[in-house]
Amino acid sequence: MVLVSWPVARLDRIARLRALASGFQGGALHEAVLDAPFDDAWAWLSDLERTVPDFDEDVARLRIIRREPHPEGGERLRIHTRNTAIVLWMPTVLDAHLASGWCWMATRPLLYVIGMAAEPEGDRTRFAHFEGLAFQAPRLLQPVLRPVLAASRWRHDRHVPRDLAAIERHFRSD
Amino acid sequence: MLLLVGLHTGAGSGAEGSREPSGPENPPVVIGQPEEQIDPALVRRAQRGDAWSLDALVRALEPYLGRICGAIALQAGDDALQDTMIAIIRNLGSLRDPLAVRGWARRIAVREAVRTARGGRVVPVDPEQLMAQLPASRDDLSGVEVRSVLEQLMPEQRAVLVLRHLDDIGEQEMANLLGVARGTVKSRLSRARAVFREQWSS
Repeated sequence: MVLVSWPVARLDRIARLRALASGFQGGALHEAVLDAPFDDAWAWLSDLERTVPDFDEDVARLRIIRREPHPEGGERLRIHTRNTAIVLWMPTVLDAHLASGWCWMATRPLLYVIGMAAEPEGDRTRFAHFEGLAFQAPRLLQPVLRPVLAASRWRHDRHVPRDLAAIERHFRSD
Repeated sequence: MLLLVGLHTGAGSGAEGSREPSGPENPPVVIGQPEEQIDPALVRRAQRGDAWSLDALVRALEPYLGRICGAIALQAGDDALQDTMIAIIRNLGSLRDPLAVRGWARRIAVREAVRTARGGRVVPVDPEQLMAQLPASRDDLSGVEVRSVLEQLMPEQRAVLVLRHLDDIGEQEMANLLGVARGTVKSRLSRARAVFREQWSS
């Protein structure tokens, strides 16, 4: 047998979210550096019931109704939300994978996806947030769906930075 | 013969504190064995834009592509791996045979890693010439710190090295992967191999 050291590249959580986000033409990903250490920032961000209605103007209430271990680590969650008038008060059911520095959520049925990722950056925290429509247009339907996805992208290019601004304000005020 | 490889984290990510510890204290990873097949049904669901399947596919490909990108792009390996995953996800719809996902992803990883290591430029090379610079057998690797030798090689040479030792890829497939023609120059091969051995053992 031969023992050799071999360099291995890693995909950190921010890079993983950037990669996944590139698959959804109807969404937008934005990033910010939060003025808090990773452990503090993620402790707040991962308290979804308290924080999501706080920073997301579309969500009036969020309840976790089921928790179980996720095979990749962390927890698999079932979530109910009640949304605000902006999205017609629609109740929503989501599945989520919540782990340290990572949250990947999708509605049931799978129409909308939300991602959050965090990595330490010195004594601060790099945070990436993605939201958007959770489908890719099949080739034949692309001419029809392209305007829908473009409109969704336009909307999320404004919505996600508002979420980020609210999150940044929280850590500035602490 | 199996090749046991200890993991080294690719440098330059800027987020080392959050990662699992890596390095010689980690158990070595066995390569040279067939990797687990990726479920073609998972690939098809990911092609339809299923958010959970896309995440699972990225996780399934990461260890294999991480070794390719790390060995070819070295310090820029993490960036190369991110660009590889983005290219894979954006182009997944063009993959006709889900069973071929690993080879298809390997092609993208080699291209992205060589491009990243070259600062964005892709320079075609003759794989015959590069193959000649490899040790004749895996036994020649004994006791050698691979990274220090890799740093002295061109990215395309590192690509040949990692593909040979990860997958035992043949010369023609290597030529296809690197986008160059196959040629044979025996005298140059033996001379280059001798030069490489000298560098390897120094």
